[in-house]
Amino acid sequence: MGTVVSLTVASDTYADTAVDELESAVDVVEGIFAHLDLTFSLYRSGSEASRLARGELTLASASETMQDLYAEASEWRLATDGAFTAERPDGTLDLSGIVKAHAAREAALSLGALGLRNWCLNAGGDVLVSGSPGPATHEPWLAGIVDPLDRRALLGAFPLQSMKALATSGSAERGDHIWAVGGAKPEFVQVSVAAADIVTADILATTIVAGGTRTLDQAVEKWNVAVLAVRPDGELLATPEFRTAT
Amino acid sequence: MRIRAALATALASAGILLAGWQSGAHIADTGTATTTSLSSATTSDKSSTGSTTAATYDGASVQTRFGTVQVQVTIQDGKITEVTALQLTDAERKSAQISSRAAPALRSEVLQAQSASVQTIGGATVTSDAYLTSLQAALDAANF
Repeated sequence: MGTVVSLTVASDTYADTAVDELESAVDVVEGIFAHLDLTFSLYRSGSEASRLARGELTLASASETMQDLYAEASEWRLATDGAFTAERPDGTLDLSGIVKAHAAREAALSLGALGLRNWCLNAGGDVLVSGSPGPATHEPWLAGIVDPLDRRALLGAFPLQSMKALATSGSAERGDHIWAVGGAKPEFVQVSVAAADIVTADILATTIVAGGTRTLDQAVEKWNVAVLAVRPDGELLATPEFRTAT
Repeated sequence: MRIRAALATALASAGILLAGWQSGAHIADTGTATTTSLSSATTSDKSSTGSTTAATYDGASVQTRFGTVQVQVTIQDGKITEVTALQLTDAERKSAQISSRAAPALRSEVLQAQSASVQTIGGATVTSDAYLTSLQAALDAANF
């Protein structure tokens, strides 16, 4: 198993040039994800995260990236009243909840530095876009959202315009890897959050799955986000951005 | 049934299979592999005379709740000129099935899309195993 990252680049240059562009972009994005995986994987015994978890390394002597991400995760813990946490129930430091979004954020910076303006990055179902799939038309990238009750069908779609990031969390794909607050059964099987940035979208999606309806209401009130949540019986909760214009 | 894609640009797409820090079941399977699903058509259609020939590329068949969906993309001069649905279930049957779901009113209010009209698929963490059978893989293969 692993996280799949796919990158789509829209280009108005010749096909050969577009292929070169894509290949360099893929190299850069792959490098970023591979490097962060080496640092943060708790399934690599030699990773910095594993050494921290075993107590061989203290946070004070950890790398700047590790310290920065821990600080960012701690801020989110405060902002979400503890619903998001970078610690497992047993106390082990686990930054998995933020590192994938961080990698996507870093990849976006690098794609911009390469001069690419129109692309769509999909990291394990979390989507971050720039520009348009047809730069001349300025149409937004359109992301389909998987139906958690039938993973081969789409529940709906979301055009990524001012909100360029769409993250989805749930328990359908990998078992219950999110612990609900107080150990209760999660109220949602899948939560999609669209936001201006991928870290906010990813963290709030995870947090709403963990915290349920109350957390959803708080998140929508506190942050400028759009939410589509699916209950175990298939019932939907959607903010206006996810509804068809009538 | 035919869908004409009015894309003025060349889209190229690649899937990268990466070891994930969130996945713990298979420690052995942590190698990094890249599957670049560039259509050969996009690299072979430039000819020195200036006249180019169209090349077609078939996406994988994808099973959906509404039947099998498969698309064919025509690429000419480095641009997608046509997207043809080789197999596509009819829209009426689709809406009928959606409206019979548990919460039809709410479900019908959500922005709908057929898989052929989206460029990417969001979902709860997609693993490499799931990716290979996913709609996103079909989209990547078809270079959307």
